Amino acid sequence: MIQYLAYLSIMTGIYGILSLSLNLQYGFTGLANFGHVAFFCLGAYTSTILVVLVKGPFILGLLGGMVAAGLFGFLISIPTANLKEDYWAIATLAAAEIVRLFFLNEDWIFGRGPYHGGAFGIGGIPRPLQSWFSATTYPFFYLCIVILCLVLTYFTVRFLTNSPFGRVLKAMREGDDLPLAMGKDVSKFRMKAMAFGGAMGGLAGSLVAHFWSFIDPYQFMPIETFVVWAMVVVGGKGNNIGALVGAVIIQFFYSSTLFLKDFIPIDAQVLASLRMVVIGVLIVLIMLFMKEGLIKEKKRIYQG
Amino acid sequence: MLKVIDVHKSFVGIKALDGVSLEVERGSITGLIGPNGSGKTTLFNVISGFLPKEAGEIYLKGERIDELPPNEVAGKGLCRTFQISQAPEKMTVLENMLLAPKDQMGEGLWNAFFRKKRIMHQERHNLEKALYLLSSVELIDLSNEYAGNLSGGQKKLLALGRILMADPEIILLDEPTAGVNPTLNKSLMRLIEDLRKGGKTFFFVEHNMKVISDICDKVYVLDFGRKIAEGTPGEIQQNEEVLEAYLSGSSREWSRKVGIDT
Repeated sequence: MIQYLAYLSIMTGIYGILSLSLNLQYGFTGLANFGHVAFFCLGAYTSTILVVLVKGPFILGLLGGMVAAGLFGFLISIPTANLKEDYWAIATLAAAEIVRLFFLNEDWIFGRGPYHGGAFGIGGIPRPLQSWFSATTYPFFYLCIVILCLVLTYFTVRFLTNSPFGRVLKAMREGDDLPLAMGKDVSKFRMKAMAFGGAMGGLAGSLVAHFWSFIDPYQFMPIETFVVWAMVVVGGKGNNIGALVGAVIIQFFYSSTLFLKDFIPIDAQVLASLRMVVIGVLIVLIMLFMKEGLIKEKKRIYQG
Repeated sequence: MLKVIDVHKSFVGIKALDGVSLEVERGSITGLIGPNGSGKTTLFNVISGFLPKEAGEIYLKGERIDELPPNEVAGKGLCRTFQISQAPEKMTVLENMLLAPKDQMGEGLWNAFFRKKRIMHQERHNLEKALYLLSSVELIDLSNEYAGNLSGGQKKLLALGRILMADPEIILLDEPTAGVNPTLNKSLMRLIEDLRKGGKTFFFVEHNMKVISDICDKVYVLDFGRKIAEGTPGEIQQNEEVLEAYLSGSSREWSRKVGIDT
């Protein structure tokens, strides 16, 4: 049980990072990013390539995953710069699928040697410092790494959203015209928000790869993006604490099958599908009755 | 200061601007009037870079600006307000004000992280300026209110305050007095005159003829996308063609509204 709790906390922490980064993009900048899982996927794969194939250390994988995902965020914001919000959202959804399909069909990165890659996935991704711990204590060590990353992400996002940079992002959330009239180069700010949020999503991906020590393209389906969306929307968009609270709530529902199967006399498989229904209903209820989420955006007060 | 030469712009089948030429002198207050749909706002959008022109040239301080995107036009020292408030509603009045200044160091990612001290200094300076300007547009009591909770008139005042934060050389105002109560209107006009004395140039769309004749040095009149008259407010009010434009068809009501003597 305590092992399971450690697992649950690690996954909540990793999704917390994803939720914070989507909150920066959607909650603060108003970017309806429907392809957030692309960052997660790229972070996981880049880190795996750097650690498994290049035999680099864990920290190189972590940083490499962030750089790759950040770069991807930057790149997709170039051709989409002039798209309206709804079209932009569709484009990001497609971009994420392109990334996933790329890794599903590649056979030249992991195709050689003992690895299979493609649809078979890649196993044996080393866990950092695993030999130092026993199998029972290791998750707690990994939990510390995740918490450290989560705390760093939280303070970075909070710092950014409170800075003059964040102020421009908040202005862009309600349309480009005013920031443009005030001389702000909105497409540059959008690129930065995509790159920065992307890098944080990459961090989460890298963490998940080294925790599972196995990844395959089916772990990065578009539904993952909407799980993260649920976290931001339920917790409260535009509020970083809200994004974290949302991550805890949704992750709990997502993982609840294991507990509920002892109480509810339904087939575990059906229950597993039902949890997505529960999350869906939760989003609808929040949208109808608490538009701003559980925790409202905090008003920024300046002292004169 | 601002020179518009033979600018054309059409929307599907309608000539919104049909060869408009005009000039706004440095340090002047220049008005732009005309019936609804005569192309005033379109002209503002073209000048400020929000709409591409089809033909013609626009110069700011001798430099061509008609190919620049709006943010770069603003960077050259020309700022505009919008007829309908564009204020980010989920930002407070003060946040709106602090958004405006140009060249804020903290807007760069690198600077935001590594040059905190200088940014803090800049923020403090901007905050003082914002509070000063908010008291001159009489919004100081609402500093920490969300812009979305302001009345239409208050949003107009905020738009003016925000522009002054950006400190441009020439200010384009799109109907600055619409929805502002008469008392506040007077202090607004006083503020504009004071700013003009301080060297600012104003070019604005206005429906209130009293405001026009009180503070404008020169007025341009548009009708169906063409300039039909220019001159001092006094000359404009006597101009036959202007009266004609206002009296024709649906424009009659408009002329009654602005108080042109028929």
